Amino acid sequence: MAVYRRSRRSRFFLVLLALTSVTVLTLDYRGGGDGALESVRRTARDAFAPVQSAADWVVSPVAGFFSNMGDFGDLRKENASLRRQLDEARAEAIRGADADRERQGLLQLQGLDYAGGLDSVPARVVSSAPTNFQLTITLDRGTDARLDVGMPVVTSAGLVGRITEVSKIRSTVLLITDRQSNVGVRLANSGEPGVARGDGSRNPLPVDLITTEVPVAVGEPVVTSGLERGLFPAQIPVGRVRSVTEPPGALQKDILVDPVVDLVRLEFVRVLLWKPTG
Amino acid sequence: MRSDPRLRLPIMLIVALLVQTTVLARMRVWGVMPDFMLLVAVAGGITAGPTRGAALGFASGMLIDLFLPTPLGLSALVFTLVGYGVGVANTGVLRSAWYISVLTAAAGSTAGVVLYAVVGSVLGERMIDGHLATIALVVGVSNAVLAPVAVRFVAWSLGSERRRRPLKAGAT
Repeated sequence: MAVYRRSRRSRFFLVLLALTSVTVLTLDYRGGGDGALESVRRTARDAFAPVQSAADWVVSPVAGFFSNMGDFGDLRKENASLRRQLDEARAEAIRGADADRERQGLLQLQGLDYAGGLDSVPARVVSSAPTNFQLTITLDRGTDARLDVGMPVVTSAGLVGRITEVSKIRSTVLLITDRQSNVGVRLANSGEPGVARGDGSRNPLPVDLITTEVPVAVGEPVVTSGLERGLFPAQIPVGRVRSVTEPPGALQKDILVDPVVDLVRLEFVRVLLWKPTG
Repeated sequence: MRSDPRLRLPIMLIVALLVQTTVLARMRVWGVMPDFMLLVAVAGGITAGPTRGAALGFASGMLIDLFLPTPLGLSALVFTLVGYGVGVANTGVLRSAWYISVLTAAAGSTAGVVLYAVVGSVLGERMIDGHLATIALVVGVSNAVLAPVAVRFVAWSLGSERRRRPLKAGAT
């Protein structure tokens, strides 16, 4: 009898807690970015930020050791490929210098603006979000540093992602490899626009909407187009074409792009003070 | 440790959150890290049965939800169900040998990850694809490795230096 009563009570308790969760879930969902729960969340993040930074400072050497241990084999391979890339880059720099001079001239002629002319705020990557389902990072700057939702995040190499949540001293960046991410891109050689979407892992980005007639070369640079609802300014480097295949009967090419930025080992980034128009 | 028992629970939750967001967030295998907050719910079910398991799951889930990009309450709902489920499943076990809690942690954590993805998908987040299998596998295995530590830590926070279940089984 006692056992029976206890199990009934615990079942009641379960239903109570589950209903509370669902209520909070619904309120947060309906409230969107401006709801009362969102401000609770922002306050909690700001309050916890100093504690987290202190703990992070203490444990980072140890944790770094562990995370490097798993990467050792990869690092050796990466070293070889980096050396090869350096050689390629040297050759390219020579060709690039010439092309850049040409492009500067064209830009001046047409009065086009691009990422280089935008104001930006430097920020440090504090941590990656404690989740396995979203690919996000946390920055140590927030609304206090004029950051806002929607702003693009870059490194000197190229595109990282865009800000999706911001509190006073912290902001969350959705990486371009996340499933929810779509980036309007343009193939550098042909100028053909497409959409690079994340697939939720560290894998290269698939690019959609490039029809089979368009010639695509492996290694071809890919930059933002400024299209796809104008989420990013144009001309930010995104990556390089890794592979191109053409399935028989398909209307578009299967293109994979390696991001130029190493999104796993980010330390410092720049936030462009630019907001999407649409 | 002679701390005030009422303080132990919040201390445990804050320490768990710190461990999750600083140490474990960097220890990723195939891009996946252990889920210590989910493990707190599982350990609650193992040490203290369905009621307290559900309560711990609710608390740890709501806490981690504050730091996630997903809607608030998603982890709370899933962890509550996991804590309760593990508590019910463990009720029949009389003497919990160490490997029972390790296996329970693996099963409970894997189930938790899948449930999280299912509920998340219902809410319109894109979560179910090939990567989900990797996440479920890595979280299941790594949480099983962390289980002995988590079970002791949670038992301490609930004010029972020794584990509750063997004690009760001996009494009846």
